[in-house]
Amino acid sequence: MNNFGTVYCYEVKKILSRKLTGIVFLICVCCVLLFTLADLSGNYYVDGEVVDTHYHMFQVDQGYRRALSGRALDQQLLEEMAAAYQKIPAMAERYNLTDEYQTYARPYSEIFNLVRLWTQQWDLDRLQAWEPDEGALYGARMENLEKEWQAQHLSDAEKAFWREQEAKTQTPLVYYYHEGYRKIISHGINTIGLLVLLFVCICMSSVFAEEHARRTDQLILSSAKGKSVAYWAKLAAGVSVSGICAVALSAVTFGVVFLIYGADGFHASLRLCSYLWTSSCTLSIGQACLAAYGILIVTAVVVSVLMLVLSERLHSSIASLSVGVGLVMAGGVVQIPYQYRAAAQLWDWAPWRYLNAENIFDIRMLSVFGSCFASWQIVPVLYVLAAVAAAFAGKIIYRNYQVSGR
Amino acid sequence: MELVIDRVSKQYQNRIAVDRVSVKLHKGVYGLLGANGAGKTTLMRMICGILKPTGGTIAYDGIDVGEEAYRAILGYLPQDFGYYPEFGATDFLLYLAALKGMPKAQAKRRANELLELVSLQEVSRKKIRTFSGGMKQRLGIAQALLNDPKLLVLDEPTAGLDPKERVRFRNLIEKLGRDSIVLLSTHIVSDIEHIADEVLMMKEGQLIYQGKWDEEKGDLETFYLEQFGEECAHE
Repeated sequence: MNNFGTVYCYEVKKILSRKLTGIVFLICVCCVLLFTLADLSGNYYVDGEVVDTHYHMFQVDQGYRRALSGRALDQQLLEEMAAAYQKIPAMAERYNLTDEYQTYARPYSEIFNLVRLWTQQWDLDRLQAWEPDEGALYGARMENLEKEWQAQHLSDAEKAFWREQEAKTQTPLVYYYHEGYRKIISHGINTIGLLVLLFVCICMSSVFAEEHARRTDQLILSSAKGKSVAYWAKLAAGVSVSGICAVALSAVTFGVVFLIYGADGFHASLRLCSYLWTSSCTLSIGQACLAAYGILIVTAVVVSVLMLVLSERLHSSIASLSVGVGLVMAGGVVQIPYQYRAAAQLWDWAPWRYLNAENIFDIRMLSVFGSCFASWQIVPVLYVLAAVAAAFAGKIIYRNYQVSGR
Repeated sequence: MELVIDRVSKQYQNRIAVDRVSVKLHKGVYGLLGANGAGKTTLMRMICGILKPTGGTIAYDGIDVGEEAYRAILGYLPQDFGYYPEFGATDFLLYLAALKGMPKAQAKRRANELLELVSLQEVSRKKIRTFSGGMKQRLGIAQALLNDPKLLVLDEPTAGLDPKERVRFRNLIEKLGRDSIVLLSTHIVSDIEHIADEVLMMKEGQLIYQGKWDEEKGDLETFYLEQFGEECAHE
């Protein structure tokens, strides 16, 4: 009898019966709720006085954005926007507090912000003087993309690939309201990614180590299936608990965000997302969200394998937790400049740093046998390969463990 | 039914824990005596396949200690075994039965039998963390017997048991020795005197005595104290 299923169920029970697992998961859920609601709480102050509430401001802007939804970003829309912004009095100290902005310009603020990003022009006076020109706008975007590609030391093959992707995109782009997806992909993936990684580090660091600390390892290793089935069952239990945590937190995020911001705009172009304006990826923003959260789940699974193996290698939950959390913290703090292309890319694509939209939809690519692969396509594959290699290395470590010196 | 231990040694950096021990064990109860640090636990761990010898071989009926088939006939009660505080006694036994490769139905039946045997059936659903030391020891004995082992290794099995339980357990070991090889280590010489068919005595990693002990040879405890007098005084 192999008994993998029975052993697996008991291994899952061991993980779930620990109070720490439940507490960490609940904290993660609370953080997700706080993250989604934080933007909408509180007041907007100017010179110490309350001007508006964030929730009301969101409602107003949401209405304006929904009114623009379905309109092409063409000459006509640009002219409307320019005319509205030209009504703002020159020399206004805070233009967004003027009546003209609130009445005429604010309904177009979403388009205005895109124009700012695409042209990389931040000065209001110059933008007010800008002659709306659809062709010039898309041209300026392309020009700034080329600059960005240069800054990130992209190879000629990569540049050619992205140019081709840009050429495939039909212009003018059509604007769709996509606030929910923007929230999910711009900051959601970072926050949920961090929470999931911390959950995995905390809960998986003790799976193997605790058997040694509790001295149950002697019973397991001296049993018939203890040197093979037990290892794989433990690994599968850790991986599935981590994967389910990632799925559950993603589901809570999607649910709460869609409830507040709406789920419309799945097919909107990724280029309309201010956070990812440099992306030439042809995915829609909805598809990008699904891909990003799919990668989040894969990363959770892969990091759990690494943590489990580390826990077996170090025989100490504190030591493995320190390594895991240390790497997650380093991923958030340490940045390698773009000019060190290989090192920067390797570091940015490491599991403890990878989970943010900029890295998932990175314009740096990986060339494999002459073909260029985008980050979101190749990284999950590399992760899975690394996890499989780590799992087999862990099996050797586990099998060779010697119970001695107690 | 034969367990062959052939020139087994275990050497740590600057210390030899077990030094070229050779012995053949057949059906019966073997009492392993020795002071602390004599190498009893190290030898038992090597017999159970959880510690690799530096030299020598261990095999049961030709099956090497490293093989799954060897572990399938093995029952082991470590000296300081651990448990899962959140598990009930039944769950603990069913988990270990699954690790021993037993089918579910058989495991359930056997777990119930053993819980009754060690008088834990009334607390079978209670969490192990609420158990006393003696109850945990009885649970440990139960897990070692789950798979009806042909080779049963018991490291200090009567530690923590009250006198009544100790006698009961001694009788149980005696019975088990009729069909299997039982190797038990203890400091309690009277336990060995009562149930062991043969005595194995270890000192500084070496087997210094092996054979039957009868009254003609005198009192076992006196002999034991002669061998380990100084070491026992330090314990």
